[in-house]
Amino acid sequence: MNKTIFQLAITALRRQKTRAILTMVAISIGIAAVVVMSAAGKGLEKMVISELDVFGPNTIEIEVKVPSVKKTSSENAMGLSTGITITTLKDRDIDSVRQHPNIEYANGSVMGQESVSYGGQIKKVVLMGHGWEQALIDDVKFASGRFFTKEEEESLNSVAVLGNAVKQKMFGDDEAIGKTIYVKGKPFKVVGVMAKRGAAFFFDIDNMVTLPTKTMQKKLLGINYVMYIMAKMKDRTQAKQTAVELTEIIRANHGITDPDKDDFAVNTMEEAKAILKTIIGALTLLLIALVCISLVVGGVGIMNIMYVSVAERKFEIGLRKSVGARRQDILWQFLDEAVILTTGGGVLGIVLGALLAFVIYIVAISYGFKWSYILPFSSILLSLGFSAFIGILFGVYPAKKAASLNPIEALRRE
Amino acid sequence: MSLIDVKNLSKEYRNGEVVTPVLRGLNFAIQKGEFAAIMGPSGSGKSTLMHILGFLDTLSSGQYIFDGRDVSTLSEDELAEMRSCSVGFVFQSFNLLPRTTVLDNAILPLMYTKDKRPEWSAKAKAALESVGLGHRLHHMSDQLSGGEKQRVAIARALINKPELIFADEPTGNLDSKSGLQVMKIFQDLNAQGHTVILVTHEKYTAEHAQRILRLKDGALVGDEKVRDRQLADGNGELRK
Ligand SMILES: Nc1ncnc2c1ncn2[C@@H]1O[C@H](COP(=O)(O)OP(=O)(O)OP(=O)(O)O)[C@@H](O)[C@H]1O
Ligand SMILES: [Mg+2]
Repeated sequence: MNKTIFQLAITALRRQKTRAILTMVAISIGIAAVVVMSAAGKGLEKMVISELDVFGPNTIEIEVKVPSVKKTSSENAMGLSTGITITTLKDRDIDSVRQHPNIEYANGSVMGQESVSYGGQIKKVVLMGHGWEQALIDDVKFASGRFFTKEEEESLNSVAVLGNAVKQKMFGDDEAIGKTIYVKGKPFKVVGVMAKRGAAFFFDIDNMVTLPTKTMQKKLLGINYVMYIMAKMKDRTQAKQTAVELTEIIRANHGITDPDKDDFAVNTMEEAKAILKTIIGALTLLLIALVCISLVVGGVGIMNIMYVSVAERKFEIGLRKSVGARRQDILWQFLDEAVILTTGGGVLGIVLGALLAFVIYIVAISYGFKWSYILPFSSILLSLGFSAFIGILFGVYPAKKAASLNPIEALRRE
Repeated sequence: MSLIDVKNLSKEYRNGEVVTPVLRGLNFAIQKGEFAAIMGPSGSGKSTLMHILGFLDTLSSGQYIFDGRDVSTLSEDELAEMRSCSVGFVFQSFNLLPRTTVLDNAILPLMYTKDKRPEWSAKAKAALESVGLGHRLHHMSDQLSGGEKQRVAIARALINKPELIFADEPTGNLDSKSGLQVMKIFQDLNAQGHTVILVTHEKYTAEHAQRILRLKDGALVGDEKVRDRQLADGNGELRK
């Protein structure tokens, strides 16, 4: 780039401060929006994925499913919420899963909502029924006490493990271990209090009470089926194969021959992650689309400012040509101006966007989300490229037109 | 060979259906080193002719041969080169860049020459001093009086020491003393071998030249030598 012409562009911009500032602001807002949105999308993705990581990559899950719907949990949940209850996943299936050579532990789980009371306080909480192996599958940490044992579960003992928030609400700082709480009016002895987990994406474990699955089935719900089975693999590289084999085993258990009639689905965590990533990807794409609209609006602003300024500067172009500027000298000057404006605006926008994204990160973290601060390079580059393109096109194209006039025509004031 | 050779030069403006003939079949030649004045009533086409001769506008028909080359065959870049190095042009309406200092206005033509940037300021200063504006270097062009603007325009036209200088009413806004100072500049340049062509409506100013061309309604109606040439001196005093 010709240095003197570059400096010329700077002087020209200085002469038109307001216009230069307006253009830069328009560009920087568009770019800041892109940076913030894409950073938020990435942060969200990281958070969700890290939530899944809590369960560990070794886990495999078998959940009930309304036959002939897709594997995705959302439709499944919809099917379940419309009142269809699948009651076919039973102890026998858990045993089959447990016997698979690649499975280390397996347990069945149920869920429910019941009022829980202690010393006159009544709370409606989500109840989780887990097998005793859950503590081995999911890495449960305890503030005090322990998980229930195999014996306790098998002899249908009424024992309970409290989520940290539930304990705080019902007991405050008092000792909870050994106390009796009442679930649906029935007494349960508290054997453990979980360590605080923080806000989780799917369920708020801190606000749950965990009971042995069998106890919950028999004493509270009066059912003999489970809602899902959680298992831990010995070798996670075999996840796919294991999932296929488990599917066949449970199909045989349920007497199903047509895969479309499956009343269960086997999910590995890898799969779940992949699905979630797709969902978040789509969400991010939506955000980006929104941003693109703002970018286009900003782009129209840039176009307008650039176009008007070139029209205003037809006289300058004519004068420069009349003292010997070649067409390319004029073009370089305007190109330089556009480049300075778009890079200036771009850098401003990136800084602004990075700052805003950081604020979002800080806020998310303070709410206990496992948010991450990631600035996606590709989208920054994309937005920069876009505004540079707009700026240059609409800065240079009209300048090119004006530069091809003969000097007297360009000098003529309308 | 003449520096300027014009053959049957015509210019007309077209505005939709309306055709305005401005120059009608001019024929004349100007030699290297000449000092010519163009006179004529307002609207007779003087400025239009100067613009065409100064490579700023195009003719409609006829031929303009400059230094042996047919101007209509020159490329865009060659024309730019001519405007940059061969000619200097003082516009009737000054045409200064607004919101720009006097110094930067005078520097403008240097940006498109091979001149090195560090020399620009000194050159521009010298040119501005020669038109008596050494004390106004950092004023904005918009803050100048009409006469001062005219002198900035002259300094800008002279800065590249062009072989051919066009001046369209260069003394139109000046008092007689400043006008004479300007005419002295042109006469000095002419004495150094530069060719000067100026437009004026004052007979007295025209008589500083060696030759007067008269235009009327776009046609050449007179072409005579100045017998009693006026000579300006640097003090703005009249001297025969
Ligand atoms: N763009 C244009 N379109 C149509 N007519 C034009 C245009 N430019 C100039 N003219 C006409 O051309 C004629 C000559 O104009 P020009 O400026 O050359 O006159 P001039 O001799 O310099 O006059 P003055 O002494 O007032 O400066 C005028 O009648 C003017 O109206
Ligand atoms: Mg005129």
